[in-house]
Amino acid sequence: MKDRRIGVFVCYCGGNISDYVDVNKVRDAIENEPGVAVAKTHMFTCSDAAQQEIIEDIQNEKLDGLVVASCSPKLHLFTFRAMAERAGLNPYQYVQVNLREQCSWAHRDNVELATDKAIRLVRAGIAKTRLTEPLSTLRIETKPKVLVIGAGVAGLRAALAISDLGLFVFLVEKEPEVGGWTRKWNKMFFHDQRGDDIIDMLKDQIKQRENITLFTNAEVVEKGGSVGDFSIKVRVGKDDTISLEVGAIIVATGFDVYKPAEGEFGYGLDGVIRLPEFKDLVTQSNGTINYNGRTVKNIVYIYCVGSRQFGDIDNPNLYCSRYCCSAAAYEALCAYEKNPELHQFHLFRDMRTYGKHEVLYEEARTRQSIFIRYEDEDPPVVERVKGKLRVRVHDQLTGGEELEIEPDLVVLVTSMVPRENDKLVDILKLPVGLDGFFNEIHPKLRPVETVVDGVFIVGAAQSPKTMAESVASALSGVSKSAALLMKGYVDLEPFIARIDTELCEWCEECTKACPYDAVEKVSVDGKEVAHIIESLCKGSGACIPVCPKDAIDIEGYTDVQVKAMIDALIQEAV
Amino acid sequence: MARVNPSFLDEVSCSSDFNAFACMNCGVCTAVCPMGLDLLPRRLFRYVLIGLEDKVIENTETIYTCLLCKMCEENCPAEVKIAENVKCLRSYINRKVFKL
Repeated sequence: MKDRRIGVFVCYCGGNISDYVDVNKVRDAIENEPGVAVAKTHMFTCSDAAQQEIIEDIQNEKLDGLVVASCSPKLHLFTFRAMAERAGLNPYQYVQVNLREQCSWAHRDNVELATDKAIRLVRAGIAKTRLTEPLSTLRIETKPKVLVIGAGVAGLRAALAISDLGLFVFLVEKEPEVGGWTRKWNKMFFHDQRGDDIIDMLKDQIKQRENITLFTNAEVVEKGGSVGDFSIKVRVGKDDTISLEVGAIIVATGFDVYKPAEGEFGYGLDGVIRLPEFKDLVTQSNGTINYNGRTVKNIVYIYCVGSRQFGDIDNPNLYCSRYCCSAAAYEALCAYEKNPELHQFHLFRDMRTYGKHEVLYEEARTRQSIFIRYEDEDPPVVERVKGKLRVRVHDQLTGGEELEIEPDLVVLVTSMVPRENDKLVDILKLPVGLDGFFNEIHPKLRPVETVVDGVFIVGAAQSPKTMAESVASALSGVSKSAALLMKGYVDLEPFIARIDTELCEWCEECTKACPYDAVEKVSVDGKEVAHIIESLCKGSGACIPVCPKDAIDIEGYTDVQVKAMIDALIQEAV
Repeated sequence: MARVNPSFLDEVSCSSDFNAFACMNCGVCTAVCPMGLDLLPRRLFRYVLIGLEDKVIENTETIYTCLLCKMCEENCPAEVKIAENVKCLRSYINRKVFKL
């Protein structure tokens, strides 16, 4: 091992560390470790002044390795990597030791042992640093084009926004017509605009854009490549297949309407329909609302059909579909507008007309809509008795009085369910959540990103949403893909697997273990060996323990480095 | 088991001031009622709204015990015109029960 010149900087964190760890004792204990050229303490290592001092130390002492023993790398890894870079040191020769979250904060009861642990942690950091190699990020040139899958309201809006930013869009729609569910619907809340008008307006705008190419009757059949540089095959019509090269993919495949089981709240009986079908009835009506030739006077709505299910059901939908309370209250208002003589009974579990949708609920209450809450365990019963629909429900506000309503129509306020998209999920390797919708990385902090870099999920494909929320999510997907592509390149972390081609004998074990399809077979000097596709590898390490020849290592976390760290940790304390 | 008569509400609402639907069932009216009437007006309006005609007629006595003092109306956070609504109910009962 060549002699290293490592700088070690131990941080007080203004007392956060030094109150429970004797920082100076740590410095004294490690300053004579092999390879350590400089060992210092700072009150706040992350302060500008301390960083400036460290940069000077790196330059004056010609350091080739750096250890900062401070807080969690989650907080300052990138701060100190940037500092190393400014000092002319390779940022991957910097190692952060976590003395705060993993030592001082955890051991406030015992300063002596906390200090001992801190010494060991810093020694391990030094041991790892001794074995660091300069690494460089993997740079991938990106294609300034985006593939949008699904031309519903979210997909169309996303395409326009991407086009506004000057990127090229390929918009792929499975159906012969664009517009999805929105096209089929009349007036929608909260703005009272008609769904088909909105779609026509978006369609007209899309036609005028030169940088949007729309394919209808088309399906994605193949995906290759990785973030910034995907190669996609799309089948258009029956036989044509075209190849596209894009930098990012936005999935806007939308949702489906829940189909209740036969007999669920009377579904299947004459006069029991779902909310979207009722919406059609209201749209068609001139004055009175008619169903099967009969005039409807009394309506019962049953909420939470297919949402928040529990009990003895296969794969219950545990989630709330968000949109339905507001949509049903709005539809009751639309129906009232057509015929103020209507009597409407809303049997609900909990009213979730959130935000300004509350106004819809308030208005419905003043327009002949009676809201009756039912208990989870005591759902309403729908039957047909002597040719008449009959709904039985307990009203809590009259102390549990059992009511018997004879409506002309029962409207089941049905949930949004995920679309059947098995083929696409398979092609894009999309993560599917327990609820069947596509899975984001974090529902609040990273709601449109997926574990597949460069693939974004927007609209109701990610979770049930109102139209406005779908569009907001679509635009979020647009800014994420634009942020990725406008720069022209992406830099990936170099912590990826490396194959020792001399040891490898291509047994396929690593390919099977890799969740990212990053291992391919290549031939080196006539020998078949594994090869890592750099842009796909995430450094998960799944391939390492399965290799019978020990031929794989992760850059930055090599076996030798980890073993050296363990040795340093268990070394006798001095 | 109580049969719902959906058009009952239409029969009772005698004027545009009838606004029983605004009731949010907080119970302030019951708390301040000097007659200590449990039924009036919170639960009574619920019967009217849902259309439980029999329940309303069963409580004819109680409906006439109300003093129309408007203590409840004064304290109602949802601005239900309780006295006006009770008047509507009485007028309905006069017609239906007492055949006046």
